[in-house]
Amino acid sequence: MTKLPLRTRAALTLQREVGRLSAVVWITSIVFAMRYLMRYRVKDAVELRRRFRAMMRENDQPVLICANHLTMADSAVVAWALGGSWWYLFNYSRMPWNLPEYTNYASLWPSRFGAWITKCIPIRRGGNRKDVSGVIQRVQHLLARGETALIFPEAGRSRTGRVEFDSIAHGVGRIMNSVRDCQALCVYMRGDRQTTWSTVPARGDSFYVDFELFRPESEHSGLRRSKDLAEQIVARLSVMEQQYFASR
Amino acid sequence: MTREEIFTKVVDIVRPYVKNPEALEAVDEETNILQDLKVNSARLVDIILNFEDEFDIEVEDEDADAVNTVGDAVGLIQEKIS
Repeated sequence: MTKLPLRTRAALTLQREVGRLSAVVWITSIVFAMRYLMRYRVKDAVELRRRFRAMMRENDQPVLICANHLTMADSAVVAWALGGSWWYLFNYSRMPWNLPEYTNYASLWPSRFGAWITKCIPIRRGGNRKDVSGVIQRVQHLLARGETALIFPEAGRSRTGRVEFDSIAHGVGRIMNSVRDCQALCVYMRGDRQTTWSTVPARGDSFYVDFELFRPESEHSGLRRSKDLAEQIVARLSVMEQQYFASR
Repeated sequence: MTREEIFTKVVDIVRPYVKNPEALEAVDEETNILQDLKVNSARLVDIILNFEDEFDIEVEDEDADAVNTVGDAVGLIQEKIS
C-alpha cells in the first residue's frame, strides 16, 4: 500500500475532525430529512442495527461496505439503516466515507463543502487514472487507520434495476487487495417501490436491508487478483438480491 | 519485439472495446484510451489483463494507473517484457 504524503494525510485528518465536530448537526439533519420529509422507513431497523453494531464492536479489522446501487441517496440510506443516527456520534469512525461522482456533488462550492464535511471524497469515474488512484489510496489509508468506507462495486447506478456485472469497479478489488485483513460488508438494500434506478427513492418508501460480512480470497496476484476480488463481491450481492426476490 | 509490433497488438486488443471507431482509424500513441476511444473505464482492466495474456507479463494495480494513452500501454508492455 502506497503511503500518502503528509499533506494529504493532514487534509484527511482535518476533514474528519471538522466533520466529527459538526456531526450532531449534519447527521441529525440528514436523518431528519430522510425520516420526516421523505418519510423513509427501514424494515426491522431495530434488529438490523443491533446486528450491525454488535458486529462492529466484535470486529477490529478494516471493513469496506459494498452496497448495490440504485439511487443517489443510497449511501445516506445505507449508513442510516445500519447505524441509526446517535450511534455514529459516539462511533464516528464507523460513519462511512463515501466516493460520490465529482460531477454529481462537487461541481459547486456549497455542495462541495457539504460533501467535504460529510466524509466524502469525490471521484471522477473514468477520469485520469492517477487521480482515480489517488482517491483509492486515500480510502486504503483510511481503512488501515480503522475508518469505514462505503463503495458501490457496480460503479454507477444499475440501469437494469438488478445487480450488474457489466461495469464492475476494479477499485473495490484493489482496496481489498491492498488493505491487510480487509473484509467486505456486502449490503443489499431496496425500497419496496424501487423497480429500477432513479435519482432518489420515492417519498414514503420502505427499505429492505440485509448485510453479510465476508473476506474474498483469490489464487491470483496483481491486477487479476483485484478483479477477482471485485467480482466475488458483486457475485455475493447478486446472491443477496436473489434471496430478496425469492422471499417476496 | 519492436515498439511498432507492440503498438499493432495493443490496438488489436483494444479494438473490441472501442465505442468510437472513428478515433480508432486515426489511432496513434497519443490517443487516450478512455476519452478518445470511449472505452468504458471498467473495461480498461479487461484490456490490461488481455495484455498480460498476450505478452506473458504480470501487471500490478499501480502499473495500471499509468495507462491513459495507447503509448502508455505500449511503454508499460515494453518495460515488462524487456
